Amino acid sequence: MAEKPRLKLPKEAKKGAVIEIKTLIPHAMQTGLVKDKDGKAIPRKIINKFTAEFNGKPVFSANIEPAVAANPYLQFTAKVEESGTFKFSWTDDDGTVTTAEEQITVS
Amino acid sequence: MFRSAMLFTAAVVAAAGVFVRLGGSVAHAQTKAPLEWGEDAAVRPWKRYQGWPVRGESKFSTLAKLVSPPPAKEPRKLGAPLAGNAENGAMLVADRNRGGSCLACHVVGPAGGADLPGNVGPDLSEIGSASREDEYLFNYIFDARVYNPETVMPPWGAHGTFNDQEIADMVAFLQTLKTPAVFKTELDDPEKRPAPVERRENLDPIENPGMWAIDKAQDLFTQKMASGSSCSSCHADAQAAFKTWAAGMPKWEPRLNKVLGVEEFVTRHARTTTGADWPMETDNNRVMSVYLHFLANGTPIAIDTSSTEAKAAIERGKELASRKIGELNFACTDCHGKSADHWIRGQWLGPPKGQYDHFPTWRTSLQAIWDIRQRFQWCQVNIRADELPPDAKEYGDLEIYLASQSDGQKLSVPGIRH
Amino acid sequence: MRRLSRRAALAAGAGGVALSVVGWHGKARAGVKEAADEVAKFVGGATAEKGKISIELPEIAENGSTVPLTVTVDAPMTAENYVSDVLVVSEGNPNPGVITFHFTPMSGKAEAQTRIRLAATQNIVVVAKTNGGQFYTAQKQVKVTIGGCGG
Repeated sequence: MAEKPRLKLPKEAKKGAVIEIKTLIPHAMQTGLVKDKDGKAIPRKIINKFTAEFNGKPVFSANIEPAVAANPYLQFTAKVEESGTFKFSWTDDDGTVTTAEEQITVS
Repeated sequence: MFRSAMLFTAAVVAAAGVFVRLGGSVAHAQTKAPLEWGEDAAVRPWKRYQGWPVRGESKFSTLAKLVSPPPAKEPRKLGAPLAGNAENGAMLVADRNRGGSCLACHVVGPAGGADLPGNVGPDLSEIGSASREDEYLFNYIFDARVYNPETVMPPWGAHGTFNDQEIADMVAFLQTLKTPAVFKTELDDPEKRPAPVERRENLDPIENPGMWAIDKAQDLFTQKMASGSSCSSCHADAQAAFKTWAAGMPKWEPRLNKVLGVEEFVTRHARTTTGADWPMETDNNRVMSVYLHFLANGTPIAIDTSSTEAKAAIERGKELASRKIGELNFACTDCHGKSADHWIRGQWLGPPKGQYDHFPTWRTSLQAIWDIRQRFQWCQVNIRADELPPDAKEYGDLEIYLASQSDGQKLSVPGIRH
Repeated sequence: MRRLSRRAALAAGAGGVALSVVGWHGKARAGVKEAADEVAKFVGGATAEKGKISIELPEIAENGSTVPLTVTVDAPMTAENYVSDVLVVSEGNPNPGVITFHFTPMSGKAEAQTRIRLAATQNIVVVAKTNGGQFYTAQKQVKVTIGGCGG
């Protein structure tokens, strides 16, 4: 599961435009309620938090429960007034934080 | 045994002028790719996938053997009037642990809360007003073939899914049904439920995790395997080499005397070229199959039916598709033919055309890539028949028949399905 | 016949089906009350008005493993007037919590999409909170398909 997050957003936009951002991180999202073949509970291990920032300012975030499907997908929007960098982060139950960045040119 | 088989393979192929080893690299003619054919292409003895139902169904026919008991010729005469418990019958007709329940195919009045019943068979909500004798209804459930040899209804009693008392209970319940079913929502009514429409973009990796196989396969393609060579040693430009190849699969393979699909081809070709161990139904085999199909996306399926052997395989596949198998006594064509464009419970049954162009496919319910052979196996286990190993020749025949039914449809792999 | 390597055999097994495809097979469900308790915690004594929220879910989900959900709240999304938090709860899963979205004026729209797990046919309840402390709510039923062949 060491796969990279997948992102889809425009590389360019007009000033003041509201753009659509699609994100996905490969992750099994173990709920903690499933038993393995020997009847032992598989411990909970999910992505519990997602954040999106633009030039250091919060745009969107989510607190995620085990009811979110495997490979958690989040689609949201952002209003862009200047060129800059989106930074996305995903926090795993084990404390691991995966990040990804994407530039956008605003004119 | 394995070593000698490999040597034998290489010797025969080389003698036939099909390929020559030159300083460690393999050059071969266009007509015949090197294949290993001394071994099975999947694990033996075949072991059912973890998590699948574990029951064995050796009493019933499979695609490889005909052993189901023959249908009765006459209805059973019941000596005494039936003494059924209608309340228990109401529970049994909706019991999903017994082959899916009556609601899979019939609207049965209030049974099961009239929650998403199917419409393969007639609505039974007023059967109690139809003046049917108990004995008739008993026999219809026990083994409907005594009244209709062409029926798709499982022989619930003759195949032992329900015992006589349970069938009597169901008859007692059916006799109480005298008013049309009341549905909680319009969606519950199979006559009004809209057929599903597929809107997902199956080639978008953010929509279809099956697409992630492409990256993995591209890595595998250039990795040096046991022999020191990789796929790319011979196929430097994969996109050009495989632009249409998968659309011509499966095909009759005289060296193995059976039909080979992409997955078995990959196993056998890799063994004798790069030395990679990629048996069928293992992850590397699946991702390579997805990749090879993906490279041919957009190409219309065009099966080579020119040889008499290929024609014969398609004919055998057609026969297998209509063979009744398993405890539920279903043939492929019962669901994907006679009952196509109907509901089994909440699942829509599509026609045979269109069941092949998207395999291997991502299955959202299982979060896994399945090739066509695994799909065959799953259908069989669910209709309570024993599955065959994925490299069984019967599956080859069935696959080439199915592919020929989809002739002209353009490949779009990996698909994304339930 | 050659035996396949143990690794290959294991890999074959791993290609099979996790018994609990939705992630919590056979578990007792939370219910309407547990969902309402979550909502009560979120609104903290305030009353949530009906409206302003649209919930997009398939009428029938082909299975409960990955059901697309889109929530849109009608709001200006200016610095003065925006939707800050949106709670999504389930009335029919083992636990009521599903996801909470947090928006800012930079979000541009109070709209988000995700894919959720549903253990059965049920209602999904959404509550939105504005920066001014107002609450809105809506709910939608989604049917989860019952398969044909059973177990």
